[in-house]
Amino acid sequence: MSISIPELLTNDGFITAGDREAIEKHSIESGLSFIKIALTSGYISRKNYDRSLLNAGYAIIENPRGEAYDVDVLSKIDLNFAHDRLAMPLRIQNNKVVCLMASPDDGLFLDFIRFTYDMEAEVIVASDLDITWLSNKLLGDKYIKSAVFELMKRDPDNSAIVTFSTAQLIVIFVIIGMVTIGLVLSFKNTSIIINVIISSFFLVAIMFKLFLALVGSRFELHQAVTKDDLKQGNDDTLPIYTILLPVYKEDKLIKKLIWNLQSIDYPRHKLDIKLLIEEDDDKTFNAVKNLDFPAIFEVIVVPFHMPKTKPKACNYGLHFARGKYLTIYDAEDIPDTDQLKKVVSLFAKLPPDYICVQSALNYFNRNENFLTRMFTLEYSYWFDYMLPGLDTLDIPIPLGGTSNHFKLNELIELGAWDPFNVTEDADLGVRAYAKGYKIAIINSTTYEEANNEPFNWIRQRSRWIKGYMQTYLVHMRHPIELWKEIGWRGFMGFNFFIGATPVTFLVYPLMLTFFICYVVFDLSSIRTLFPDWVLFMSIFNLMVGNILMIYVNMIAVFKRRYYELILFAIANPIYWLMHSIAAYKGLYQLVTKPFYWEKTNHGLSKVNSPTNVVK
Amino acid sequence: MKVTGTLYLIILTLILVIYYLVCGIYLNKLGYYNHESLFYIEKSKIVFEGLGNRLKVMGLTAPMIPFYANFPFLFFKTLAPVIASATGTAVLFYIIASTIAKRLNDEGYIWLLLILFLFHPGIIYTAASGKSIYLILIFFFLFFLNLFKFYRSNTTFHVSIASICLVILIFCDYKFIWLTLFFLPLVLSITIHSLNLGEQESIFRLFLSFNSPSLRRKLINKTFALYIILFSLPMAAVLCYKLLNLTHASDLNYFAESPYATWNVLIDKLSFDQLTTNTNYKIPEISILLSARVVLFCPMILIAMYLFRESTYQVLTILIPFAFIEFLHIKYDKVFLAYQYYMIFLILAYLCVIFKAHTVKNHRSFKLLLLITIIFQLYFGWYYLRTSSIAEEQNFVKVLFNREPDDKQQDNMEVANYLNSLPTQSHVLVDDAIAYGIIAFTNDIKPIIMPYEGNFLSALESPDKYVDYVVVATAKNVVSGYTQLNNKYILSIRQTIPDVNFRKVFETNDWTVYRVITNGSGNTL
Repeated sequence: MSISIPELLTNDGFITAGDREAIEKHSIESGLSFIKIALTSGYISRKNYDRSLLNAGYAIIENPRGEAYDVDVLSKIDLNFAHDRLAMPLRIQNNKVVCLMASPDDGLFLDFIRFTYDMEAEVIVASDLDITWLSNKLLGDKYIKSAVFELMKRDPDNSAIVTFSTAQLIVIFVIIGMVTIGLVLSFKNTSIIINVIISSFFLVAIMFKLFLALVGSRFELHQAVTKDDLKQGNDDTLPIYTILLPVYKEDKLIKKLIWNLQSIDYPRHKLDIKLLIEEDDDKTFNAVKNLDFPAIFEVIVVPFHMPKTKPKACNYGLHFARGKYLTIYDAEDIPDTDQLKKVVSLFAKLPPDYICVQSALNYFNRNENFLTRMFTLEYSYWFDYMLPGLDTLDIPIPLGGTSNHFKLNELIELGAWDPFNVTEDADLGVRAYAKGYKIAIINSTTYEEANNEPFNWIRQRSRWIKGYMQTYLVHMRHPIELWKEIGWRGFMGFNFFIGATPVTFLVYPLMLTFFICYVVFDLSSIRTLFPDWVLFMSIFNLMVGNILMIYVNMIAVFKRRYYELILFAIANPIYWLMHSIAAYKGLYQLVTKPFYWEKTNHGLSKVNSPTNVVK
Repeated sequence: MKVTGTLYLIILTLILVIYYLVCGIYLNKLGYYNHESLFYIEKSKIVFEGLGNRLKVMGLTAPMIPFYANFPFLFFKTLAPVIASATGTAVLFYIIASTIAKRLNDEGYIWLLLILFLFHPGIIYTAASGKSIYLILIFFFLFFLNLFKFYRSNTTFHVSIASICLVILIFCDYKFIWLTLFFLPLVLSITIHSLNLGEQESIFRLFLSFNSPSLRRKLINKTFALYIILFSLPMAAVLCYKLLNLTHASDLNYFAESPYATWNVLIDKLSFDQLTTNTNYKIPEISILLSARVVLFCPMILIAMYLFRESTYQVLTILIPFAFIEFLHIKYDKVFLAYQYYMIFLILAYLCVIFKAHTVKNHRSFKLLLLITIIFQLYFGWYYLRTSSIAEEQNFVKVLFNREPDDKQQDNMEVANYLNSLPTQSHVLVDDAIAYGIIAFTNDIKPIIMPYEGNFLSALESPDKYVDYVVVATAKNVVSGYTQLNNKYILSIRQTIPDVNFRKVFETNDWTVYRVITNGSGNTL
């Protein structure tokens, strides 16, 4: 066949001459094949491309995964090259190298085969997705090993592969032993001491949160990047921006995802969007395959390897990232359209030690039910007040799950995400501070889908709380070193923010039980065990703690102008009980299966999200 | 030298602390005390040295924050409230001066403030009397400061801090809870102002907001949210405090109505007695004249209003304290308006000046005007204190300016000295509802049985079994009607327990100390 693929697509009317020119220009600049750009930058849908190939007389293999392959042949090609060209050799047959190719006329790849194997290629035309799947599966071994073990090898002290260090176990068992001995020797006094410590800790932890929220609220109108800053930017000078989209069984959200990504205000050829699909996730894979409109992302298939976690997928995707900056979004995320440009502008303004920018997260389905309202209140105070508060006080910021924007080189230098940590984002935030880097907060929001189903919520929250426990344990292996690295303020902040959060959730039901037994049921045994002053103190701590927490939640509505949610803050004590259930589940899992990733189901909301929220 | 620098402000503050301490200690040496400070000293003694249910005393003594503010200085015994108020007033100076330093690049305003803090009799009264006025003024200032900052910044931070200051203010003086009442219409006005409307005139903004459904909803939601942010903390705090009173004293208003919990119950009753028995009715305390009195006391408030003339809701904010004191006068009609309710205008007026001074074109003339006003205020500050209807305030001026020894607490001191001289194992029955002045001067309160202790009622019923001495209010004591331990008590015990008798062992005008004796043995216990 003499007609080239670009010509074929132009003739068929799927791309214009202008598109072709743009793709070719982009191809020269990036080293990516023409067809890769056409298929992953929104020029042509896969179905139309298949149509063109079939019309031109090409046969597309249905099941390339069943093709035989030779390990020796595969060993001569790098996965990156296979990705770029959407092609890979399989075996040698009849003195020819049998190759899978998405674009049968890719001269560069055919030359590579000739030079490498000293043979001609026998081309089997296959879908780019199948080639991606197969290439990652067959060639991705070293990358997946690196994704899992790199941090552990390079910086074992910062890896959560070991949940409890020996010293920590000794401390925990010594404390348990001392408490037991105390209870045996003097049950009453030991109970009093425990009660006083727990209730005081509860109050102090909440007061610290109030303090942070107040500090954060002081700058609620401060704009890190203004509209004028954005206007001064020039599209031509924008760097390549990688967006990682780790998904698992999110087939329902793929169309929405493309819609949201298309709305991002950033030059298309400078976007390097990677959809990270697990090897066994056929649902999402097929959903992408069946799309009948152009996709604007590249698919990366993450080969199977335990632990099956989001950070592992992100680490894997990192090997193929081309951007200067990198961010992560979830499938259902709706970022502000100008978010990437704002981040580029902010990075340009910040000193070089700022390696990450965190955007605010909020929910588009906030008015769906009680849970989504409470979740919105919580996220509003967390991202609008707490994190800016931490930022102002120069305390390590536990990054949010998505919309954190990194400088790619520094991220790699840090060791990227810990695949064994189930809140890898929070861990990375602390690790960045410990290495002397800083994190900034930006005035841009990504809208997510709030969990609207209680059991799904508890699953998600148990993972977060477990992750906080993991992060705390990892960074407290050497407390004195941590103190030296992040200073006393950072150290205290880390303890009260990361360490105290799970503890407050764990002690909350205990305190509530005391309160109910004492005040409601007037249980006499409680009075005999604890003197009045202890009960007074506990109840004071519990009540003041709850009132302050409700107040912090109430503050949250202001910045977002969600005034209608303000009264829901009163339900915070109930919402905290759900946290406590999740915390106990998280604690149990921390001991039994620390790396298990509790999957949150997305797409449950019946609320139609706006396509985008332009500020 | 640039006085706006932090270091210099600290130095000025320290000088003020010394100045106030000299005044306070001097007054103390002349024997000046007041009910409030004696009450705090007595309750602090119970908390730190007493036996029995001290938690109740610690938790329910009101106002709570001034009471706790004495704790760090208890080492100095009866001087503790004076040191607290001297330090606190100097801190108030520092807070105001640092606000000036941040907002105005002009030392003149700090010098004017210094004149006020050095010479205003009200400020000296605040600093040297040992009363809690300093805390009221500090948190009143901070509350309004943050409110004005909120008007400018529109951030949640300032309104939250204002709310926290209001909570503390209420726990410094419970009457400030009524301040919230007058903020109800103001918050609506603030919200209307904060809506993003083209119209500038408040009344038209209101008209626009009410006629558009979406704006109306927004207005209602925002107003409600502002109410909650501003008032939910004070309301919740008061509610919790009342519940605490209910659980520990079986009375929601114990902290405000029991003479064991707060000092002014008794003083207010005395004030009422004075009012009803006095033939000369106090003309100036008629409602409308009260505001006029305030204007005379602090004409600077007129300057403040003039400076804020362009913003209706900000002028309304300044008018709120006027409505507040008028309300207090109606609500507590049997009580004279205490000096601190005048002092708040002094602080508010200066705050407004700080806030708006930058809009003045001719600073020199403006500062001259302020100086004249301040001199005027100094005179009226002295005049109001001298002619005050409250005896304590008059007494302060008398002692300070005439340098005459004050013998108001002489009786209490003498009784206390007598109790101090008793053998250490002797137990004494005292009702601190009125006798807190005695307890404040005693060296050791352990042998004294008071109502906070579980065995007080038993000791009251059978003094022969529990105590060796009883301190009883004489008929001349103006508050003898507010305690069971008066002359009638002696008679009733003699009647109900024939074996018990009392021997007068010490007597002053207000108090009699009886030794409890049994007719059989002549000895107790």
